[in-house]
Amino acid sequence: MSSGLTLRIDLDSDVPAYRQIVDGLRILLVNGKLAPGSELPSVRRIAVDLGVHFNTVAEAYRTLADEGWLELRHGRGATVVERDAPAASAGKVTEFRRRLRALVAEMQSQGASAAKLSVELRTAANELDV
Amino acid sequence: MKLEILFTILPLALVAVIFQFMPLLTRRGIFFSATVDPEFPQSSDGRRLLRSYRLQAALWTVLAFALAVPLATTRPQFGATLPALVLVAGIGFSYWLKFREVHERYGLRRPEVRETSLSPAEERQSINLWLVIPPFVAIAAVAIYLNAHWSQIPDQFPVHWGVNGQPNRWASRDVAGVYGTLLMGTLMDLLCLGFAWALLRMSRKSTMRYVTVRMLEVLLYPLTFTFIVVSLLPLMRIPLWLAPVVLLAFVAVIFLWSYRKITAASAPDEVPEPQNDSYWKAGVFYYNPNDPAIFVSKRVGIGYTMNFANKMSWVVLVGILLIALLPALLMRK
Repeated sequence: MSSGLTLRIDLDSDVPAYRQIVDGLRILLVNGKLAPGSELPSVRRIAVDLGVHFNTVAEAYRTLADEGWLELRHGRGATVVERDAPAASAGKVTEFRRRLRALVAEMQSQGASAAKLSVELRTAANELDV
Repeated sequence: MKLEILFTILPLALVAVIFQFMPLLTRRGIFFSATVDPEFPQSSDGRRLLRSYRLQAALWTVLAFALAVPLATTRPQFGATLPALVLVAGIGFSYWLKFREVHERYGLRRPEVRETSLSPAEERQSINLWLVIPPFVAIAAVAIYLNAHWSQIPDQFPVHWGVNGQPNRWASRDVAGVYGTLLMGTLMDLLCLGFAWALLRMSRKSTMRYVTVRMLEVLLYPLTFTFIVVSLLPLMRIPLWLAPVVLLAFVAVIFLWSYRKITAASAPDEVPEPQNDSYWKAGVFYYNPNDPAIFVSKRVGIGYTMNFANKMSWVVLVGILLIALLPALLMRK
């Protein structure tokens, strides 16, 4: 269940709040901390607590619903649903590779070694693999 | 000293004392509404700023008193209003100067990291019905009692008294006259409950919210008591001083309880309020167009202020003012 779970965003970050909400929730969905049947709070409460516009949270919920993670309840919150793992398309894999390379390049320009990044990537993949 | 002067000076003195202590009635890490190091208020600069503010506040108080004394006797219609305006505006100006100085010279910029619980159960906080129903039951019981003793109610009876204790407004034995006071009491109670309900829906979960909602619920008791006393006066001999004394005693106890709660450590599941000082105009007016919250806990003092960048805040504000003014309008009839 979702008890004790929190969603955290940084309003000073360059990453838009909508993207941070989607990413934060998706991590909890992928690693199973938000299991099927879990209920998420209403758009209103999340928006008020995080200090972001209602539409920002509603859009994040819609994105995750489009991905098959959530079922939206009108005027209320959302429920996590059972989801068949889809096979990643070639286009998605290519897009992922492009984003990953950009991220790796950014980190290497900050001084992170290839070995260090490799360990980080493996750790992240293992943490999310359930 | 004339009674009019005393009753004009006393509220001003009370407000002046509150203003003297106001900068201390705040959360750790906030000083004159600006975000600072938690140890800053104890530093020599912090103490110097507090001394300077208090001196300025004392000077504004002296000016307000100097205006109040002659006005209380010569122009009683302005007796309390004008000096109160001078006091609040003057000390408000001094406070704003201090906010600016603290913010610009000693202020900190904390990261705007926000967090929310994903447990939907926390939305189920609500008004404590067991606490708020008895005052309404009491009002209904008094209404029944008045109805049962209708023939004993005098044709004319006082419903309002001046500062000298003499009645200055009378009502007659009809439905509006007998039950009007109870109706006003009911409206005031509903106003408190409406505000508590709005807070639970339109603000972030915090100790301040818990304290304010409880405060509003408990406030129903002295309010109801006051209106019940006034409505029973045509039938019973009740000392007039009883209602204000009970009200003041309740307010004092509620205030002390709130102060202890708020200055204690924050609850672990507290949802933080926005940190950036730039959202606080003059240190007291919250203006953040990106924040959907209508009520935001005040940076200084106990209670809530509104997000003046939100159109709904203005709608709520006008609604509260209208309901608050309704009893006064009904009294004029």
